[in-house]
Amino acid sequence: MLLTVSHLSKAFGDQPVLRDISCGLAAGQVLAVLGRSGGGKTTLLKILAGLETPDAGAVLLEGHDLLPVPPNERQMVYLYQEPLLFPHLTVFENVAFGLRIRRVAKAETTQRVREMLAELDLGAHAQKGPHQLSGGQRQRVSFGRALIIRPRLLLLDEPFGNLDAQTRADMQQLFLRVSRQHQITSLFVTHDSREALTVGTHFGYLDQGTLTSFPSVREFIQDPRTSIAAELAFWESVQQTGH
Amino acid sequence: MLSKPRSSKLLLGLYGLLVAGLPLAGLCYALLGSLGLVGPLAAGFTGRYWRALGTDTGLLQAALFSLWVAGASLALAGGLALALVLGAQATLRRRPLPTLLYVPLLMPALVMGFYLFQLLSGAGWLSRLSFGLGLTPGVEGFPELVQDAAGVGIIMAHVLLLFPFFTLLFQAIYQESRLADYYQLAQTLGARPGQFRWRVAVPVLLRRAAPTLLLSGIATLGAYDIPLLLGRPYPQMLSVYIATRLQRFDLRELPAAYLAGFLVAVGLLGLILVLTRLTRRHAL
Repeated sequence: MLLTVSHLSKAFGDQPVLRDISCGLAAGQVLAVLGRSGGGKTTLLKILAGLETPDAGAVLLEGHDLLPVPPNERQMVYLYQEPLLFPHLTVFENVAFGLRIRRVAKAETTQRVREMLAELDLGAHAQKGPHQLSGGQRQRVSFGRALIIRPRLLLLDEPFGNLDAQTRADMQQLFLRVSRQHQITSLFVTHDSREALTVGTHFGYLDQGTLTSFPSVREFIQDPRTSIAAELAFWESVQQTGH
Repeated sequence: MLSKPRSSKLLLGLYGLLVAGLPLAGLCYALLGSLGLVGPLAAGFTGRYWRALGTDTGLLQAALFSLWVAGASLALAGGLALALVLGAQATLRRRPLPTLLYVPLLMPALVMGFYLFQLLSGAGWLSRLSFGLGLTPGVEGFPELVQDAAGVGIIMAHVLLLFPFFTLLFQAIYQESRLADYYQLAQTLGARPGQFRWRVAVPVLLRRAAPTLLLSGIATLGAYDIPLLLGRPYPQMLSVYIATRLQRFDLRELPAAYLAGFLVAVGLLGLILVLTRLTRRHAL
């Protein structure tokens, strides 16, 4: 297992947010976690990124305790719902950020950023400012900025939540392509069951701080809490009524 | 009764006259006065006041001294405010500091100057305290902190007035620009706190605050009350230099004062134009 989370708990004041969470993630897997707002998804991601500390439990990365490691040394990028591009930097410099702070040689930085921009179809926008891009383009820059440092784990907090339906579908396909190509391991939280099914290789459901992991996609679909089976039944009934 | 478009045109005209017409008229009057064409003792066109600029370096020295005071005050106040906003976020969000920062803003510049004079002058509280403790042998042993050649007292007064204002401004930009979220993101991208401050927070804060910083710098450059109280007769800041010349009993000095006023006004307008273009080019 690349990532092992065991018996993780967190409360804010007397309000429990995560209750005894356990899960595992092997290299290259995408764990899609479905859940409603306020279910503890963001807190779970922030604990994994090192931006919050748990009250109890353990987080292991390749068997090593991750909790004492500061966030800037974890090589785990946390992606927000908004792209949060640095407003004073161009697209090129935004993507280069992780390499610049690691003092990677200038020539190598230029080459890697150009390749990344080409891969994300952003080559023509390299010298533009973030305010000159569309929502989808900004999210792609945000991906590029994360991928270029070759993260060990990508933590995505409803990254496509603010996009329109078509751009969202395009971004999901892009995520799938890039994730397979770079063998990225990710934890992808969403409240959209269709998105979870599109991007995930493994599935979980988080509600009121409790995580349920599903051994197969079939069980994920059939769990009444995900509402997927009910939705499928609805569309089938619509189809039958139509005929 | 005037029709609506006509009355709005009239209002616009009156406003234009007030904000541009009258200052421009004053500027023209100063220019004509410096050429001996207007004024109480005007005797016809002459270029001697302009030629005298070559030998009298008073105006240039006042301009350089004013630039030094404005630059140093702005840099110190801005640096302190940045350090506080970037280094003490938690303290800044807790009472009573945010409220206390408003206190110096309620103080008129003259009161601040008077307070610093009482505190820092040779016969002031600090001097007497250090004499009482045996640290200095007398008034002359205490360092010159007001009415000094380097303008330390003037700079200190401006820093005390500007620094709380800049802190509140930077803090508002910090929150509005979501720099706390950027900090967390930058950390997960591998940035240390210092790298985040220098590569993200400082550029964002300075670029967003640039127009206000620019206006504060111009206001400091033209300040009058504080340099009058805490400055010495030489070197003088521009406002005091011009006012001193305008208020002399010798009316023959007036054209030279008009000339100084004209050059300072034109210089400041030029400076504002250049700096505004610069800040616009790098605006966020």
